[in-house]
Amino acid sequence: MARKEKADVVIVGAGASGSVYAAVLAKTGKKVVVLEQGPDWKLTDLISSDFWGRRIKTAGAPFLLEGKNPYGYSYQSGWGVGGAALHYFANFPRLLENDFKIKSEHNRALDWPIAYRDVAPFYDKVASDVGVSGSAKAEEIWRPRGRPYPMPPMKTFRNGDVWLKGCESAGIRMVPAAVGMNSIPYKGRPACIYDGWCHVGCPIGALANPLVTYLADAKKAGATVRARSTVTRVLTNAKGDKVIGVEYYDAKGEQQVLEAKAVVLAAWSAQNPRLMLNSSTDKHPKGLANASGLLGKYMMAHFASGTWALFDDDVQNHMGTTGAQYMSYDRYGKTSHKGTFGSTYIVAGTALKTSDLGGFANARPDLFGADLQAFMKRAARGLTRLTAFGEEMPNIENRVELASDKDEFGMPLGKIVHSFDQDAVALWNANFEEGLAVAKATGAKEVWSGRGNMPTIHLMGGTIMGTAGDNSVVNSYGQTHEISNLHVAGPGIFPTSGASNPTFTIFALSLRGAEQLAAKWNTVAG
Amino acid sequence: MTSIERRAFVKGATLGALAFTVGGAEVLLTPGEARAQAVPLRALTAEQAQTLEALGETLVPGARQAGITNFVDLQISIPPEQALLEARIVNIRPPYANFYRAALGAVDKASQALNSGRGFAQLDAAGQRDFVDAMRQNKVQGWQGPAGPFVYFILRSDAVDVVYGTMDGYKALGIPYMPHIPPVQRW
Ligand SMILES: Cc1cc2nc3c(=O)[nH]c(=O)nc-3n(C[C@H](O)[C@H](O)[C@H](O)COP(=O)(O)OP(=O)(O)OC[C@H]3O[C@@H](n4cnc5c(N)ncnc54)[C@H](O)[C@@H]3O)c2cc1C
Ligand code: SF4
Repeated sequence: MARKEKADVVIVGAGASGSVYAAVLAKTGKKVVVLEQGPDWKLTDLISSDFWGRRIKTAGAPFLLEGKNPYGYSYQSGWGVGGAALHYFANFPRLLENDFKIKSEHNRALDWPIAYRDVAPFYDKVASDVGVSGSAKAEEIWRPRGRPYPMPPMKTFRNGDVWLKGCESAGIRMVPAAVGMNSIPYKGRPACIYDGWCHVGCPIGALANPLVTYLADAKKAGATVRARSTVTRVLTNAKGDKVIGVEYYDAKGEQQVLEAKAVVLAAWSAQNPRLMLNSSTDKHPKGLANASGLLGKYMMAHFASGTWALFDDDVQNHMGTTGAQYMSYDRYGKTSHKGTFGSTYIVAGTALKTSDLGGFANARPDLFGADLQAFMKRAARGLTRLTAFGEEMPNIENRVELASDKDEFGMPLGKIVHSFDQDAVALWNANFEEGLAVAKATGAKEVWSGRGNMPTIHLMGGTIMGTAGDNSVVNSYGQTHEISNLHVAGPGIFPTSGASNPTFTIFALSLRGAEQLAAKWNTVAG
Repeated sequence: MTSIERRAFVKGATLGALAFTVGGAEVLLTPGEARAQAVPLRALTAEQAQTLEALGETLVPGARQAGITNFVDLQISIPPEQALLEARIVNIRPPYANFYRAALGAVDKASQALNSGRGFAQLDAAGQRDFVDAMRQNKVQGWQGPAGPFVYFILRSDAVDVVYGTMDGYKALGIPYMPHIPPVQRW
C-alpha cells in the first residue's frame, strides 16, 4: 500500500546536478528528499581496481540502443548516490562564448537563451564551492576574465610534458588543465597524491565528487538522501499546471507516493525524458511539459579522437590523475578544421592503468597472444595519449523514446536512437589527422590513431532549454515552460553540447536554477 | 593514515576478495587459487570451461593459470549488479551468462565446422591463433552468434583483467599499484 509522505522538494537522482539543488534548497530551510535508484555508496566502497570499480557502474533497467552509432549507455550513466560523478574524471573545462550562439553566428544548430556572461559568475562560484585547480589567467587567452581558480594547477608528469613540443609545432597552445581536484588541501579535503585511480572513485576526497561536496553540504543542511528508491512517475494536479509529487518504488520494492511542492528531475539526460514521457496525463498526453513535441529530442554526444605515442624511455604513465594535465581551446572555433563544423577541445597527459576501456591493452586492441604480452611490457614504460573531444550538433532524429518492453517496476524501458552525421564524422577524422601530426613531432618511437567504433561520450539534450514553449522544454533555469514547479537539471538542458566536458557547466547551471527556484519559491511552489 | 583512509582500508579488505564456494562453505580466493583447488563451476559446463580457458590463453598468455574460467563462471552466476565483468560497461544486457554461452557456443560450432569436428580447445596453438585472428576480423566462415569481433573484445578484456588487472599483474609489469583501498589477496 502506498504511504503518503510530504516534502517541500523532491529531487530525483543523487548525482552531480541533483546534489547542487539539494544543497541550495536545504540551506534555505526546505524539507528536501533526494530519491536515488541505486545503492548508497560511501567513500569506503571505492576500491582501487579496474574490475572492482565496475561495481559502482550502471545496473538497473537498461536502455535499448538504436541508430548508426548506438549510444554507450552503460559506461556513461550513473548508478547510486553520487551518480556518474562518483567516478568521473573531473576535467573541468567550461563552455566558451561561441557555444551559446551557433545559430546566430553560423545559421545552424540552436542558440542558447542565455550567453556566456550569464553562466560565468556561476562557474566562479562552483570553483570556489567544490575546489578547482588550474590557471584562469592562462585560459583567458580564449575567454573573458573571471575569478582565479582557488587552487594552483596540478603537478604534471612526463606522460603529459612529452606532448608539449608536438602541440607547439602544430600551433596548439597548451595550458594547465582545469580540474575538479585538489592540487593542495582544500576545505578540509586532502591534496591529490597522483595515483591515477580517479576513474573508480577517489576515496580520500581529493576529487570533487558529490559525496564530498554538494551532497555533503545538503545532508549537513538537513536533506534526506534515500537510496534504492526508483521514481517511475511524476504526479500532476487535475488542471495539469503543477506537479504534486512523485511515485516511486522503495528499497523493499513497494510503491510509495512522495508529495512535494516542487520536483526536480536530476536523473540524467536519458532518464529525465523517460520519466517525463511516462508521466503523461490527459492534460499532457505526449508526456509532461511536452506541448512542443521536443521532449526526448536533440540528444547529443561528444566523440573523442585519441592518439597514442609510445616512447622507449619511461614517461611515468602510472603517475597523474585520470583527468588531464594540459588542455587547449585552440581548435574550439566552430570552423577550426576545414570542411568540418564543430568545436574541438584537446587534452594531454593522463595516468594509465593496464586493463579496462582506457587501459594499455585497449591502446592496441588488434594485438593478442605473445604480441600483446610484448606490447604490455613496452606500454608500461612508454605509452601516453592525446585526446581531442569533438562536438556533435543537435539533430532532432537523435532521441529518447519509450519502448514496449517494461522494467521490473512495469515502467516502459527507454530507447536511445543515435547516429552521428557527416559533420561529426569529418571532425572526428580531422582530429585524428592533426593528432597524428602532433604525435609525430613529439619524437616518440611509434605513434598511431586509436580508431575503433566512433565513441559516444557524455550525453546532452533531450530536455533542451530555449526562449519559449514552442522551441524547447525548459527555460534557462531548467524550469519547464508548462509547469512552473517542475525543474529539469543536468546536461539534458543544453541545447548544444560544445566540446568541453559537461560537468562544470552542469554544476554552474544547476546552481543558477536552484538559486532561482529558491528565490521564486513563494510564487512557484505548488 | 587519516580516519577516512583507515576505514576505507578495512572495508576494502573485506570486500576485495572473491567468494568461491568450496565444500558448501564460502571461502575467499583469487580465481587462480580457485582453479588450482578445482573449485566446482556454477554456470559453465565442462566443455564451455575448456573452450574459455583455451581462448583466454590464446588471447593473453597466463590467463589459464590466472583462473579466467573460474572468474567468468563466478561473475555470471552472481546478480548482475555485483558483477565485475567488462561486459557490464559495454551495453551487454544481463543475464551475462546468456552472452558467454552464446559466444562460447559460436566459437566451438564454427571451429568444429572448419576443423573436422574439433572444438577450439582441441586445435593446436597455431590453429587457435589463426581462429582468433579470423574471429577478431569477423572472417570466420559460417559464424553464427554474437559478432566475432565483439566476442574477441569481451573475452580478451576478461583475460587482460585476470592477468594484468590484478596487483600481481602490475608487479609483473614493474608498475607500482599504489592503491587507496587495495583489493585483498593482491586481487
Ligand atoms: C567514466 C566517466 C568519466 C567522466 N568524466 C568526466 C569529466 O572528466 N568531466 C566532466 O565534466 N564530466 C565527466 N563525466 C560526465 C559526468 O559524470 C556527468 O556529466 C554528470 O555526472 C551528469 O550529471 P547528472 O546529475 O545529470 O547525472 P548523474 O551524476 O549520473 O546522476 C543521475 C542520478 O540519477 C539516478 N537516477 C536515474 N534514474 C532514476 C530514477 N528513475 N529514480 C531515482 N534515481 C534515478 C542515477 O542512478 C544517478 O545516480 C564522466 C562520466 C563518466 C561515466
Ligand atoms: S589521482 Fe588524485 S584525485 Fe585521482 S584518485 Fe588519486 S588522489 Fe584521488
